[in-house]
Amino acid sequence: MGIAPTLAVTQPAFWPLTLILFLPAIVAGILALPIIPRGKDDSVRWVGLATTIAVFILSLWMAVPAIFGAGSPGQFAVGDAGMQAVVKQPWIPAFHIEYLLGVDGISMPLVLLTTFLSVLAAAASWPIEKHVRPYWILFLLLETGMIGVFVSLDFFLFYVFWEVMLLPMYFLIGIWGGPRREYAAIKFFLYTLAGSVLMLLAILMLYFASDVRTLSDDQLLATHVVSPVLEGADRAAALTAVHSAPKPIHTFNLLALAAIGQSPASPFAATSFWGMTLESWAFLLLLIGFVIKVPVVPVHTWLPDAHVEAPTPISMILAGVLLKLGGYGILRICYPICPGAGLSFAWLVCGLGVVSMVYGAFAALAQKDFKRMVAYSSVSHMGYVMLGLGVWSAVAGHEYQWDAWAQGVNGAMFQMLAHGISSAGMFFMVGVLYDRVHHRNLEEFGGIFNRMPLYASLAVAIFFAGLGLPGLCGFIGEVLVTLSSWNYSRLLAVCSAFTVILTAAYILWAIQRVYLGAEYKGPHGDHLTPMTRRELAIAVPLVVLAIVFGVAPQLIFNYITPTVNRQVETLAEWTRSIHDGHPAAAGAAAAATDEGSVGFQAAIDSFSVGGGR
Amino acid sequence: MDIESLLPTLLGLAWLLPLASFVVILFAGPRLGSHGKGAAGVATAAIVGSFVLSLFAFISWVAQHPVRAVEHGEHAEHGAAHASADPAHASADAAHGSTDHADASHASGADHAAGHGTTHAAGHGEAGGHGGLPASYSGDWYTLYEGGRLKLSIGWYVDALTVLMFVMITFIATCIHVYASGYMHDELHDITDHEVHLADGGHLHRPGRFHRFFQALSLFCFSMLGIVIAGNLAMVFIFWELVGICSWFLIGFYYERKSASNAANKAFIVNRIGDFGMLIGLMALWGALGTLHFADATGPDGHVRPGLFTLVRPPVAGHAQWVPDGMVKFAAAEKVERVLLSHADDPRAGVEQVEAKVEDWRDEGYGRWLLLVAGLGIFCGCIGKSAQFPLFVWLPDAMEGPTPVSALVHSATMVAAGVYLTGRFYPVLTPDALLVIAYVGAMTLFIAATIALVANDIKRVLAYSTVSQLGYMMLALGVGGWLAGLFHLVTHAFFKSLLFLCSGSVIHACHTNDMRKMGGLAKAMPWTSGTMLVGCLAIIGAGVPFLDIGLSGYYSKDSILAQALLFARENPSHSILFYAVAGGAMLTAFYMFRLWFMTFAGRPRDHHVHEHAHESPPVMVYPLVALSILAVIAGWTLPGGFGIANMIEQARPAGTGGLELGGLLFSAFTVPAEHSSHAHDIHVTASLTAFATAATGVLLAAAMYVWGIIPPAMVASAVKPLYTFLANRWYFDEIYRFLFVLPVLGISRLVSGTDKGIIDRFIEGVAWGAKQVAGFDAWIDRTLIDGLVNSTASATYGAGIELKKLQTGQLRQYVMFIALGTVAIFVLAGLLFRSSFAG
Repeated sequence: MGIAPTLAVTQPAFWPLTLILFLPAIVAGILALPIIPRGKDDSVRWVGLATTIAVFILSLWMAVPAIFGAGSPGQFAVGDAGMQAVVKQPWIPAFHIEYLLGVDGISMPLVLLTTFLSVLAAAASWPIEKHVRPYWILFLLLETGMIGVFVSLDFFLFYVFWEVMLLPMYFLIGIWGGPRREYAAIKFFLYTLAGSVLMLLAILMLYFASDVRTLSDDQLLATHVVSPVLEGADRAAALTAVHSAPKPIHTFNLLALAAIGQSPASPFAATSFWGMTLESWAFLLLLIGFVIKVPVVPVHTWLPDAHVEAPTPISMILAGVLLKLGGYGILRICYPICPGAGLSFAWLVCGLGVVSMVYGAFAALAQKDFKRMVAYSSVSHMGYVMLGLGVWSAVAGHEYQWDAWAQGVNGAMFQMLAHGISSAGMFFMVGVLYDRVHHRNLEEFGGIFNRMPLYASLAVAIFFAGLGLPGLCGFIGEVLVTLSSWNYSRLLAVCSAFTVILTAAYILWAIQRVYLGAEYKGPHGDHLTPMTRRELAIAVPLVVLAIVFGVAPQLIFNYITPTVNRQVETLAEWTRSIHDGHPAAAGAAAAATDEGSVGFQAAIDSFSVGGGR
Repeated sequence: MDIESLLPTLLGLAWLLPLASFVVILFAGPRLGSHGKGAAGVATAAIVGSFVLSLFAFISWVAQHPVRAVEHGEHAEHGAAHASADPAHASADAAHGSTDHADASHASGADHAAGHGTTHAAGHGEAGGHGGLPASYSGDWYTLYEGGRLKLSIGWYVDALTVLMFVMITFIATCIHVYASGYMHDELHDITDHEVHLADGGHLHRPGRFHRFFQALSLFCFSMLGIVIAGNLAMVFIFWELVGICSWFLIGFYYERKSASNAANKAFIVNRIGDFGMLIGLMALWGALGTLHFADATGPDGHVRPGLFTLVRPPVAGHAQWVPDGMVKFAAAEKVERVLLSHADDPRAGVEQVEAKVEDWRDEGYGRWLLLVAGLGIFCGCIGKSAQFPLFVWLPDAMEGPTPVSALVHSATMVAAGVYLTGRFYPVLTPDALLVIAYVGAMTLFIAATIALVANDIKRVLAYSTVSQLGYMMLALGVGGWLAGLFHLVTHAFFKSLLFLCSGSVIHACHTNDMRKMGGLAKAMPWTSGTMLVGCLAIIGAGVPFLDIGLSGYYSKDSILAQALLFARENPSHSILFYAVAGGAMLTAFYMFRLWFMTFAGRPRDHHVHEHAHESPPVMVYPLVALSILAVIAGWTLPGGFGIANMIEQARPAGTGGLELGGLLFSAFTVPAEHSSHAHDIHVTASLTAFATAATGVLLAAAMYVWGIIPPAMVASAVKPLYTFLANRWYFDEIYRFLFVLPVLGISRLVSGTDKGIIDRFIEGVAWGAKQVAGFDAWIDRTLIDGLVNSTASATYGAGIELKKLQTGQLRQYVMFIALGTVAIFVLAGLLFRSSFAG
C-alpha cells in the first residue's frame, strides 16, 4: 500500500472524497454478504443509518471546515470560486477515462444536501418491513450514485453514476411502492432511459470532437488534463507528451471540454450536421436528458406517478436530490461546454421553465391526492430553477449586464437547495399522515390541527416554505429568479410572477382541507396519534433548516455565489466577444474569430484556474 | 449617541421586541401562567416596550427637527394642514431647489456601528420645506443577496413619517393587546364553539388557545413595523407577505369554522393577486435600475449609490420627476445596442456615446411607460393590501377573525400599509399613475359606502366603512394630497380602531353581531356607547367650520375635500372625484349614525339580548377611553405648530409640492400643489361642504332610526331592486366566482386531464419503441465502450422486461447481483489505478 501516503500528500482530498462517495456502496456490499444473520432487520437498519450518518459527518467535515476548527488540506475553502479537492487517477487509459473528482461552490452544497437528506430518509425508512436487507442495499447504492454524479468531473464517470443511481431507484419504486408500483417504476425507467440514451449520444459526440492538444499549457494544468500536482521535469514531460501527440487526444474531462467549448475556435461549433452545429446537437440532447430529470413539462408525467407510488423516504430522496441532478447537469455541463448553443437556446430553457411553473401549479390545484399535489408543486418549483438558469440577458457591447443573469443562476441554485429541504419535508409530512390513516385523499382529511397539533404546526411551516413565504427558504430563490427574468423577457417575467397566485391557492387550499376544519372526515381516525420521536427527529431539522436558510441565505450564497458568478462572468465575456464580432448571429459561435476578443483568453483562463488546492 | 445612529437603534429594537415575544410564546406558550395566561403579559410587555422606544425616538426626532408650521403663509395658526398658502412660491422653490439642495442633501453619514447609514438633512431648515429632500436617515443592517451591482438587503429608512407611524402603531397595538387580554378571556378555558356543527350533530369542544392569539399578534406587530421601517422595496415586499400570513392566521383563528378558513384563504389569495402586480412593479424597477433602495446608499468605499428617490427626482432636475437613465436605456435597448455595435472597436467611446444620447431618448419619451408600469405595479400591491376596488372583497370576510384583530390588523394598521406604501413611494408615481389611483380610490369609497348603508352585521358595517375610508386616502394621494391622505391614515387609525373595539365590546356583551337584535344598549353600556359616539363623530369629521375646531377626522377629511375640490377646479373634466368625496362623506355620516342609533338608541329589539348586556370589564374599557381621547385630539395643532400634520409635512418627498402635468394614459391634466388647497376660498368651501354633507347624513339617519319619520323598511321596499343589489354587495363575489375562480379551476382540471389523457397515452404508446431504444443503448455500450458498462446496461434492460420474475422470489439474487456488480466495477477500477501507479 505504498501509494496511500503519496496520494495523501499530493491529493489530500483523495481519501475523504472517495470515502464519502464509496462508503455507502461498500456497506451495501457488506450487507449483501451474509454477515448479519437473517431476521436481524433492526441491525440492518442501524448499520444503514450509521453509514448515512458517517457519510454526512464526513461531508460536513469537508464542506464546513469552520465546525471542525482550522482547515486541513482536504477540506473545502468556502468562498473560493475554483474547483477544489480534485482527485485524479487513471481508470481506463485507452479511452482517457479517469477517476476524476472534485467539488466547487456549485457541487459542494448539493453533496451536503444529498448526504443530509440521506440521513433523514434513512431514518424515515424504519417503517419499511418488506425485504429489509435488499431495501437498505439499494438505498445505500442510491446514495453512492447521487454523490457520484455531483462529484464526477469525468463525463464517463458521471454517466456511470447517473445509471447507477437510476437502477436502485427503479427497484425501490417497483418493489417497495404502492399498488401501481410496477406501472410507475416502468414509466420512470422508460423516461429516464430515454434521457440516458440521448445523453450518451451527446457524450460520445463531444468526446470524439474534442482534442486537448488545442489547449495551452496553463489550460491543461487548470483543467487537470495534466495534473498540476506534477512538478518540474515530470510536468514538462507530461505537457510535451500532450502537445507532441500525433493523433487527437480525446477527453471526457468536463473541465477540459468546457475550456475547449469556450475557445475561440471551438471544434464543437466548427462541425455541423443536419443544419445545426455539433454544439447545438449536444446541448439539445443533454438538455433533454437533464430536463427529464428536473422534470419540465411535457416530460414530467413520470414524476407524479413515481412519487405517489414510492415509499415516503424514496419520495424524499427523489424530490430532494434526484430532481436537482437535472439542474446541476444543465449548469455544470450544458452551459460551459456548449456556450453558443446555450445562448441561442436560452429562450427554450426559460420557456420550458415558465411553462412548467404555470402548468405544474395549475395541475397541483386540480389534484385530489395529497402526494400528487405535492409532486406537481415540485414540477412548478423546479420551473423556477430552469428559468433562473436560462435568463441570459444579453445586450451587445459593454452594456452587457452579467449580474442579472448571475442573479438568476444564483437564485436557481438557491431554489434547488431550498426545494431540497421543502419538498423533502412536504413529502415526509404527507408520509406521516399516510402511515397512520393509509389514504391520501385530500377530501377526507380535516381537523388534523386539533388532533396532532405539533405535527400540524411543523407541516404548515414546511408548506409555507413551499409557498415561498419570506423568512422561509422558498422565498429567496423564487424572488431572485423572478426579478432576474424581467431583463430577459417581460412576458416570461409576468407569467412567472403570476404563478405566485396559483401557488398560494393550491397550498393554502390543501392546508385548509387537511389541517384546518373541525373534525377528521376519513377512515382510521383513531390512528391519528402524535408524532413519534423518530418522526420529530426528521421533521424538526427540516423545519429548522427551512427557517435558517430563509433568514440567513448568505450561509448558502457564501458557497455558491463565487463559483456561479465566475462562470456567468466568463460566459458573459465570451458572449460579448462573440456579439461584438458578429452581432447578427448570436448563436453562431461557429463563425467566431479572434477579432474583438481582447481579454477573452484571460477570461477563459480565469474560468478554469484555481483547481486543485 | 448621535441621532443618525440613535433612531435606527431605537426603532430597530422597537421592531424586534414583538419578534422576541413571538418566539417566547411559540416555545413556552401553554406554560406561561395557567392555561397560557402569561402570554398576554409577554406580548403586552413587548409592545409596551416598543411603544416606549418609539416614543423615545419620537422625542429625539422632535428635539432634532422641531415640528412647527412652515413659516410663509398666514394660515399657519389655523392648525391642521396649513403649511403654505403660496403656490407661486412653492413652485419657484421647487425650481431653484436644483442648485440649493443638491449639495446640502448629500451629507453622507459617517461610519456607524450598525452599518453604513446615509443622512439627508433637509435643505430649508428642519421644518420640512417643500422642494428639498426631507430629513431622513437610512442604511442597511443585513444583506440577503449580493452579486455584482445588485444587492437585496434589510435596512432602514427613517423620516418623520416613519417615527410617527411607529408611535401610532405601537400605541394602538398596546391598547388592543390590553383590550384583547380581556376580550379573549374565554380562550383560557375549554371552549364550546356553537358555530361549528359536527357530523354527529353536536358542537365542537376544544381547548382554549389564548397564547396562540397573542403569538400571532406579536408576529403581526413585528411584520407591520418591518414594513414601516423598511429601507427598500424588497424589504417592504418581505414584510408585506409576512403581514399577509399573520392576517391569514388571525382571520383563521377559529379555523374549525369553515367560514373562517375560507375567509383566511380568500384574504391571502386576493392579496397575492395584488402582489402579482407588485412583483411586476418590482421587476420593472429592479431590471432597469438595479436598486430598490428608497434613499441613496453610501457604500463601504464611500461611493454613493443613488436610491429610487434620487433616480426618479434627481437634484439636478430640481427634484422634478423624470425617467431615470436606467429606464431610458432599458426602453431604448435596441438603440443602445446599435450605438455600441457601431463603436465595437472602441467600447469606451460607445458607452460615452450612449450616455450622451440618453437625454435625447428621454425627451423622445423612452421609458415613460416603464416608469408608469413600475408605479402602477407597486400600487397593485397596495390595492390588494388596502382593499381597494377591485380587490376589496376580502376585507369584509376578514371580520371572521376575533374583533381585536379586526381593530388592529384589518382597520388601523395592516390595511393602511397600502396607503402608507403609496405615500412612501409617492415620488416615483407619475401623474398618470396618480390619476389611476384617484379613480380607484373614488370607486372604492363609493362602492363600499353604498354597501355599508344596508349591512346589518355591526362588524361588516365597520369593515365597509374601513374600505371606504381607505378609498378616501387613496383618492387624496391621487389628486396630489400627499399630506391629506397620510394625515387621514393616522387619524383614521385612531378612530377606526376605537370603533372596532367598541363594536367588540358590544358583541362581547350581546353575543351577536346582528344590529337588528340590538338597540337601547346605551344605558347598559354607557362607556361603550359614549366612546363609540366619539368615534362616530370623529369619522364623519364633526367640527365647527368657521372656528376651525373639531375632532381629528374633521381636519384630515377637510384637507382631502379641499384638495379634491382644488383638483376638480383645475381639471373640470375630473370633477367627479370631488363629488365622490362629498357624496361619500354624506353616506359615511348616514351609515355610521345608523349603526350607532340601531345599536345604542331607541328601545331594545331583542329582550333576551338586552337583559344579558352589560358594560365590559375595565381592562376593555380603558383602551376605549385612551383611543377616544386620541380620536378627538389627534388632528389638533398646538400653538407654535406642533401637530401630526406638520410632522408628516416634514417627510414630504422632494419635489412633489409643485405642479405636475400628466398625459400618457389620460389627456393632459394638472396635479395641483397641495399648498394651494389652503387658499381661503377653497378651504371654506371644502369645510362647508363637509359640514353640510355630514349633517345631512346624520339627520337622515336620525329621521329613519330614531324619530321614525321615514321607516327604513319602507325605503327598502320602495327601491327594492337597488336594496337587493346593495345587500348582495353588488354581486362582486358571484361575479368573481364566475369570471375567475371557476375558469381557474376549469383550467386546472384541463391541465391535469392533459397529463393523464394525452401525455401519458402518448408515453404508453411509445413504450414499445422505448424498449427498442433500450436495446440500442445496450448495443452502443457493447460496441463502443470496452464492455465495462455492459453489466449495468444489460441488467437495466433485463430488469425492465423481467420485473415480474422479481416479484416471484428471485428478488434477493437480483438485488445482490446489482450491488455486487456495481461494487465489482469499482473494485476493478481500484485495481486499475494500482497497476497504473506501479507502472
